[in-house]
Amino acid sequence: MEEEDQRKVTDLVIELVRRLLSQQNPQNASPNSPHFSQSLRYALRILSSRLTPSVSPDADAVAESIKRRLATQGNSSDALTFADLYTKFASKNGPGSVNNKWAVLYLLKIISEDRKNAISGMDSPVFLPNLGLIDDEMGNDLRVLNAKENREKAWKNGVLLVSKDPENLREISFREFGNLVEEENEVTEEVLVRDVLYACQGIDGKYVKFDSNLDGYALSDSIKVPRATRTIVRKLCELGWLFRKVKGYISESMDRFPAEDVGTVGQAFCAALQDELSEYYKLLAVLEAQSTNPIPLVSENPSSGNYLSLRRLSVWFAEPMVKMRLMAILVDKCKALRGGAMAGAIHLHAQHGDPLVHDFMRRLLRRVCSPLFEMVRSWVLEGELEDIFAEFFIVGQPVKAESLWREGYQLHAGMLPLFISQSIAQRILRTGKSINFLRVCCDDRGWADAATEAVAAAGVTTRRGGLGYGETDALESLVMEAAKRIDKHLLDVIYKRYKFKEHCLAIKRYLLLGQGDFVQYLMDIVGPELSEPANTISSFKLAGLLESAIRSSNAQYDDPDILDRLRVKMMPHGTGDRGWDVFSLEYDARVPLDTVFTESVMTRYLRIFNFLWKLRRVEHALIGAWKTMKPNCLTSHVYTKLQHAVKLQLLSTLRRCQVLWDEMNHFVTNLQYYIMFEVLEVSWSNFSNEMVVAKDLDDLLAAHEKYLHSIVEKSLLGERSQTLYKSLFVLFDLILQFRSHADRLYEGIHELQARTAESSLSSRDKNKPRQTKDKSSEPGSWIREGRKALTQRASEFLQNMGQELDALATEYKSLLEGFLSQLPVQQHVDLKFLLFRLDFTEFYTRQHATM
Amino acid sequence: MVKACCVMDPEAARTARESLDLAFHKSNILDTGLDRHTLSVLIALCDLGLNPEALAAVVKELQREPPRSTPLSPSSSQVP
Repeated sequence: MEEEDQRKVTDLVIELVRRLLSQQNPQNASPNSPHFSQSLRYALRILSSRLTPSVSPDADAVAESIKRRLATQGNSSDALTFADLYTKFASKNGPGSVNNKWAVLYLLKIISEDRKNAISGMDSPVFLPNLGLIDDEMGNDLRVLNAKENREKAWKNGVLLVSKDPENLREISFREFGNLVEEENEVTEEVLVRDVLYACQGIDGKYVKFDSNLDGYALSDSIKVPRATRTIVRKLCELGWLFRKVKGYISESMDRFPAEDVGTVGQAFCAALQDELSEYYKLLAVLEAQSTNPIPLVSENPSSGNYLSLRRLSVWFAEPMVKMRLMAILVDKCKALRGGAMAGAIHLHAQHGDPLVHDFMRRLLRRVCSPLFEMVRSWVLEGELEDIFAEFFIVGQPVKAESLWREGYQLHAGMLPLFISQSIAQRILRTGKSINFLRVCCDDRGWADAATEAVAAAGVTTRRGGLGYGETDALESLVMEAAKRIDKHLLDVIYKRYKFKEHCLAIKRYLLLGQGDFVQYLMDIVGPELSEPANTISSFKLAGLLESAIRSSNAQYDDPDILDRLRVKMMPHGTGDRGWDVFSLEYDARVPLDTVFTESVMTRYLRIFNFLWKLRRVEHALIGAWKTMKPNCLTSHVYTKLQHAVKLQLLSTLRRCQVLWDEMNHFVTNLQYYIMFEVLEVSWSNFSNEMVVAKDLDDLLAAHEKYLHSIVEKSLLGERSQTLYKSLFVLFDLILQFRSHADRLYEGIHELQARTAESSLSSRDKNKPRQTKDKSSEPGSWIREGRKALTQRASEFLQNMGQELDALATEYKSLLEGFLSQLPVQQHVDLKFLLFRLDFTEFYTRQHATM
Repeated sequence: MVKACCVMDPEAARTARESLDLAFHKSNILDTGLDRHTLSVLIALCDLGLNPEALAAVVKELQREPPRSTPLSPSSSQVP
């Protein structure tokens, strides 16, 4: 039997060799040709060397592998046909069928593969088999000549393959490796990959579970896997941990949303994160689909299919890991923050060199900042503070109309994100404030046009979401345009409709006593009234007097609206106060100008008014004194009648009085001049210039503040001028005392004159009853005492008056000197001109030098 | 021809023929370049228990002849 088989085999081999050879060259096929016998020998050698196949006999596996190969080569129809044929072929059993089906299939497979390789690798290995064949004849020469080629041949050439069998070894070792892997791993990699994918969605897998001790996902310890696998699983699952964190934040915020104030920025942040997560979900879905592909063994063709191993997964996860990590960091940072502060914190993280991070943060920030920019937009263009969650960097508070501008809205530094600079923020604040001011205080609607114009000029759409993060230029231009127009409109309204300048001028004219005739008249008619004790004065009467002062001065031609606002104000008075101390004028600025003329501003105006009023009063008093003092025929008439000694005395007293008056008048006139021209007018002129230049209400307020401040400081009403101010008031009081002295002096003189005339008269007419004069007061007694006594009296009176005047003069002189000496040492205010005027002739300097 | 001598009953002959047909079809799909007769010889050898790898090697080596017949190769001229 054995022999028969052997013979059969030999016959078949001979037949095979003949057929194969005859395919190419029929001559070679003849059994007698040397080529034939050589080939036959070769074939037998091959057949005898390889007795067992290198793979385990499994027909199905071979068929499957053929099918797959056909499929991957793109011949899916061939693959189908082959599968069909194979099933039929396999079903043939029994006598006459092929017994060794596996061998046939395997044979076909190898031949087919060999042919393919031969065709594709036609170029170099073409000659190699030839070399192999002729090795016997050629001897060692060629081998020596071309050792390298020989080595190459070792892999390609059948002869050498037979002797070394490397593929076989590889297959075996791969299989062993597969077994080893299976042994080491309790779970396959596919399962682990799937578990990791689950963990990355925050779901516990079968083996990979969240471990609260570790604070992360990990393979449970009970599962036997190599340490490398364990580590890579942990690494990959970091994504899951980050995802949990981000997801947790989002759901927490969303849950809290209606009850607590997460804020629109917070919501936007959550939405942006949610979007990023949905991108992430997409990736996970793709990966999950891929994870169903089996992981091929190393021996199999690795290019087949998009399977997922842990290592591949780590490549897939590289980018989402960076993003997720960023998101987790942001979530951590933003937990306690809201609104602008949150946007600012995220903005800090956007400053990153990595373009991936940069783009990601930019996208995120665009979303996060959109509510903020929306607020800016509506605030700048509509003056609406759409900020229910207090997230905006401008906070409003309910205030009275008059303090709306100053206190109504404030910048909230904590909510100001860094990408909006302080100056722009200020501008944004002012623009919206202006709109609100126009709306609330000025009752104006014209700002809407200005806002529309601004939008057109800035070229930004009025639509919501027209602005975004990163478009700082657009924001700036919008804000600038809006600010420019709104501010201009506001100033227009204030100047034109509310006549700001006219009111300022009116205040200057009436409260700062710029309208001379009015002040003179007012002083004249309220003077007697104000000399009464303060508590007996009726303010209604004074109001009437003010009215008549207006009517009889040029003020009557002023705008009735302005005159209507001018009122008398009685300041609170203590005991012993005279009317002079409590009288003042008041100007009612009304909304909206009371934003400029606030209560504190008006108090300062009042102080200035009181000072100026006092100065006027002193001047008025001096002028009044002059009226009586001025030399005229009446007084000169007296002199002639008097004795020589008395006459001299009288003259010297009068002269001293005149000199003192003159000195006082010089002082008061020059002070008055200084106040009127060098303080009020200069300040006013500066203020007018600034009013023209002013671009917004803040500028205007600052200009007005400066104006008022300069008046207060220069009029010596400031804090640092208190000593000067006090000595000035003492001087004023002295001058008023002088006035009453002078009055008394001249009263006495007039009396004297009357007496003298009477005595001469009575000497002529002695019948005239004296009783009438008896009833008169003390000076009446002069007459009875006769001419001599009269002279005596006069000289006494004059002497008293002279002494009093002297005392007054000395006091005045020393006070004035003190006052003058203080002027040049004042550092906060320039009083050079005042000193220069007062001491024009250097009279005081020289006097000081002589003393 | 080789097969025919072993065949006895017509049923077995039919099965053998069909099997050969199927195998030949498959061989064509796989583009092995074998003709029907050679294939039948190979199947017979396989059934006799020869190593298919070795058989494939023989086929491969002997099929390699045609390129050698091209005159380009210097070594080919030495063969005869």
